[in-house]
Amino acid sequence: MAAYKAPVRDMRFVMHEVLNIEDHYKQLGVEDVDASMIDAFLEEGAKFSMNELDAIYRSGDEEGCTFDNGTVTTPKGFKEAYQKYVEGGWPSINGDVEYGGQGLPNSCGIAISEMTGTANWAWSMYPGLSHGAVATLEEHGTEEQKATYLPKLTSGEWTGTMCLTEPHCGSDLGQLKTKAEPQPDGTYKITGTKIWISAGEHDMADNIIHICLARLPGAPEGTKGISLFIVPKFFTDGNGSVGERNAVACGSIEHKMGIHGNATCVMNFDGATGYLIGPENKGLNCMFTFMNFARIGTAIQGVAHAERGFQAAMDFATERLAMRSLSGPKNPDGPADPVIVHPDVRRMIMTTKAFAEGGRAMIYYLAMQGDVVRQSKDEEAVKQADAMMALLTPIAKAFLTEVGVESAIHGIQVCGGSGFIREWGAEQNLRDAKISTIYEGTTGIQALDLLGRKILMSQGQALRVFTKVIHKFCEANADDEQLKPFVEKLGSLNKEWGDLTQAIGMKAMQNPEEVGGASVDYLMYSGYICLAFFWTQMVKTANEKLAAGTTEEAFYKSKIATADFYFKRLLPRTMAHKGAIEGGLECLMAIEQDHFMF
Amino acid sequence: MATYKAPLDDMRFVLNDVFEADKLWASMPATAEVTRDLADAILEEAGKMVEGVLLPLNRQGDEQGCTWNDGVVTTPEGFKDAYNTYREMGWTALSGNPAFGGQGMPKSLAVLFEEMIHATNTSFALYPLLSNGATLCLDAHATQEMKETYLPKMYSGEWAGTMCLTEPHCGTDLGIMRTKAVPNDDGSYNITGTKIFITGGEHDLTDNIIHLVLAKLPDAPAGSKGISLFLVPKFLLDDNQNPGERNGVQCGSIEHKMGIKGSATCVMNFDDARGWMVGEPNQGLAAMFTMMNYERISIGLQGVGLGDVSYQSAVEYAKDRLQGRAASGVQNASGPADPIIHHGDVRRMLLTMRALNEGARALAAYVGLQLDTAKFSEDAAARSAAEDRVALLTPVAKAFFSDRGLETCIIGQQVFGGHGYVREWGMEQFVRDARIAQIYEGTNGIQALDLAGRKVARNGGKSVQAFLADARGWVDANEGNAGIADVLPALRDALQLLDDLTADLLNNAGSDADAISASACEYLDVFGYVIYAWLWARMMATASDCTDYPHRDAKLLTGRFYFQRLLPKAHALAAQMRAGSEVMMAMDEAAF
Repeated sequence: MAAYKAPVRDMRFVMHEVLNIEDHYKQLGVEDVDASMIDAFLEEGAKFSMNELDAIYRSGDEEGCTFDNGTVTTPKGFKEAYQKYVEGGWPSINGDVEYGGQGLPNSCGIAISEMTGTANWAWSMYPGLSHGAVATLEEHGTEEQKATYLPKLTSGEWTGTMCLTEPHCGSDLGQLKTKAEPQPDGTYKITGTKIWISAGEHDMADNIIHICLARLPGAPEGTKGISLFIVPKFFTDGNGSVGERNAVACGSIEHKMGIHGNATCVMNFDGATGYLIGPENKGLNCMFTFMNFARIGTAIQGVAHAERGFQAAMDFATERLAMRSLSGPKNPDGPADPVIVHPDVRRMIMTTKAFAEGGRAMIYYLAMQGDVVRQSKDEEAVKQADAMMALLTPIAKAFLTEVGVESAIHGIQVCGGSGFIREWGAEQNLRDAKISTIYEGTTGIQALDLLGRKILMSQGQALRVFTKVIHKFCEANADDEQLKPFVEKLGSLNKEWGDLTQAIGMKAMQNPEEVGGASVDYLMYSGYICLAFFWTQMVKTANEKLAAGTTEEAFYKSKIATADFYFKRLLPRTMAHKGAIEGGLECLMAIEQDHFMF
Repeated sequence: MATYKAPLDDMRFVLNDVFEADKLWASMPATAEVTRDLADAILEEAGKMVEGVLLPLNRQGDEQGCTWNDGVVTTPEGFKDAYNTYREMGWTALSGNPAFGGQGMPKSLAVLFEEMIHATNTSFALYPLLSNGATLCLDAHATQEMKETYLPKMYSGEWAGTMCLTEPHCGTDLGIMRTKAVPNDDGSYNITGTKIFITGGEHDLTDNIIHLVLAKLPDAPAGSKGISLFLVPKFLLDDNQNPGERNGVQCGSIEHKMGIKGSATCVMNFDDARGWMVGEPNQGLAAMFTMMNYERISIGLQGVGLGDVSYQSAVEYAKDRLQGRAASGVQNASGPADPIIHHGDVRRMLLTMRALNEGARALAAYVGLQLDTAKFSEDAAARSAAEDRVALLTPVAKAFFSDRGLETCIIGQQVFGGHGYVREWGMEQFVRDARIAQIYEGTNGIQALDLAGRKVARNGGKSVQAFLADARGWVDANEGNAGIADVLPALRDALQLLDDLTADLLNNAGSDADAISASACEYLDVFGYVIYAWLWARMMATASDCTDYPHRDAKLLTGRFYFQRLLPKAHALAAQMRAGSEVMMAMDEAAF
């Protein structure tokens, strides 16, 4: 099996050289974070991920979680690794200082999340969900709630969950049935069944804080009648000690395709005591804090699987000897050449590389926008960043997970028959990846959110927030001869993006079904253009470094070569998505429901 | 849960109405007895068998998998009984040579049968399919005596067969193979070496297993020209030709895999095992390759079968699952929400699956008919044209079927949302089972090289031109057909695109050694989309004439969807291909 090697050099390239994160922190007024501190973080995070988490990647998959009468046991080593994670202070990087957090911007933690996730996605979901619970409480909890739950959640001694889905509803939460009955003491009794609750029950922390959606008696129907509650597994005395068990129990765990080390639970709430978060019937709005957090977290998962697919492929392709290069032997002393000399193998590897590195830049950029929203004092900047996140979050979540799955498929293919064998780990990467296009809102739901709710509902304004940035970038670099092939292509696609959006908008005014008919192709189309933007920026940086003279010539040249590959061999896919959108709706809706199958 | 009904109407439509297969069969003495009625009856019986016998074992076979204990492999519960039923019904003999107990059914019929067994239980299907491959090879290359000894028992299914090619250090590149064959005085050979990834190498379904093994004679030339083929039975035959003494071949272990868990993938250790040469010395690879065209399309059908069961299951789920309201207004007013089949994006997914599955079924039947012509026609010119077409389209079918098959299974899983990820529902198994088809029997990268290099560049594009001439001839003949007037221009464009890309390929091949490999995969994909376009137009033309065909509207609509929403991919692929090889080869290995 290929051991995970944390791509620290590439992370430094993105953070320092492309996105100038140090300047960004200065502008935010974050004084105490500098490049050397970030580098130290990266080094330590890389060590932890490679030594502790990658070591239990395969065994965690084989062993999986086990359920016995309400108790869930995680695979061997998961608990110990989590303890070290807590002791190392990793859960608290972004947490509020008031509650024991280190108060650092979100973007400081993003690379750590990527590394822990790539080394072991199933494991990393336990702390990942806690981050979302923390963000939700920080934003919507009362002072008392914050004081009660945040210190232990921030330190990682307790973990969190999000409880949305029920057996009959996932995408359509308006049908939610779980009930919350008010009690005289101001608490609520929560009763209902939630399914697919990641980390709903496990043995890694002293308490689990469920963030749960439920309906008050007499609440309006649909999504406007949903409220949000805190339901702790164990009651707490307010000073961090846990006491009596609350009436919430895990009924069973799912047997899944992948992420076997993560417990996916059926949670039964049987008159469990809960505490309202935020206003009555506004639960879905509050939960969106959590969901947006989780969506970006899932976008990281796309990058993680692309990176893991890339590394598995590289490991095999440089070792495995088969056939001779068509342009002459490259390994004349051996019986054959390493398969990386063959163009078709390169095509697959470069595809995974282009998605992993392009995706990384996109995610880190998004995390920086998140910093601005959370910490900037400049109102206009906050508004702008908020709009940027609203647009890019569904694209990052759906596009990066879709290409993450594709990359995992390539990772297997490069390894040939060995790729299909469990010991090698390449097939686990695909099994683990496949959930990412489904949970936290399927690709289809993200696409509706992007095209319907965000873009068309704002008459295209939401898109212009970003296309303007690209346009300005292209204008500013129009005279850069070296960058020209990239800038020209990016500029023309950027314009096409606007035109295509307008054309869909016109059709959608005639028929609202047009949105669903075009949405996924539109999202993928948008994703390719976003990555083209980030790749162009990376080429610009690489050109500058090369012109200035560097000892790392090979590194920067490989950036340019990968960008070139991306533009020539992957970006043309926009044509297919555009063509499909222009193919229209009629061919989708004409067929009778009963004629689908015979 | 998995839902599957053998798609008999569509199979008959393709075979009888689109291709009028019975006319071809009637024209050739070897297949003259195969009538439309007989073919229909066979398909109908096959449908009953796969639905009743194979499908119920599929989920549990995956959960249980094969087990290995000290050289003995046990298949999942129920496999052995199912296998006995399968062979007693004669399915193992379906396309075997009648001279040795086979039923001599045409490949154009067998491909539809194979699609069904893959759809319902692809792990199970691999055992008889591997035996089919071995019998084909023996029938073509073994001595009369060997054929008489082995073929009847293999056709009856009492014995199974395997193909032993891959070794730990070589799969794609068989030239560096190490297994040795040392001649004995009695004309037999002692075979020693290790083979891996041997499907059905050991199991409990049959009384004997006949391994076809590639090995090197002492002093054989280096590389792929020094490989010979040997028959190595698990049990040596006694004087009455019954399995007797155990031969020196053992299963060392089985692999733990992503999918096809009910199929035993074995490490086979040959330790002075006795074997007999099949065919000529050092001609083993060529002998093995005679069955490749048959095998490769059968493996492609794994993708098609799994794509279809995934589609059928997804349709059921989409009609059942209530989430959200249709954008154009409420469709299910009495329910809490509308079935998700009303959402445009869900339809996009379902129609993509369907258009790819039905395009594949048509191509499988088309290639099957060409294989039948190549094998049975008495007209030498027709035979040679068909052989040429088979050679051209086999890599396309294998790779495009299996690539689109995985894509289709992934879409089916997506339609199920979270349920798609949970094992009990069965959808994730289809993805795991489909994944191997892109790898074995020559990875799809190898198929693409075979197509672009050997089948196109090496003969200057002659085979492609012959194909294009046929397709364009059909378009010309259907110029006035009102039923397909709206798709013919796109079909003409698509054929022209393939023509242009072929010319590019030939031009670049001369100047750049890496050009073919760098664009082969995209070229194969374009080929796939273009040939589906032709076959979709043919199906639409037929459907518009068949006014009494119950699925006429659905066929026409799905075809239109194919042209409007999927065929544009060919143009994107063309742009990628035209980017050339420099973008891939420029980077130094260390810089990756």
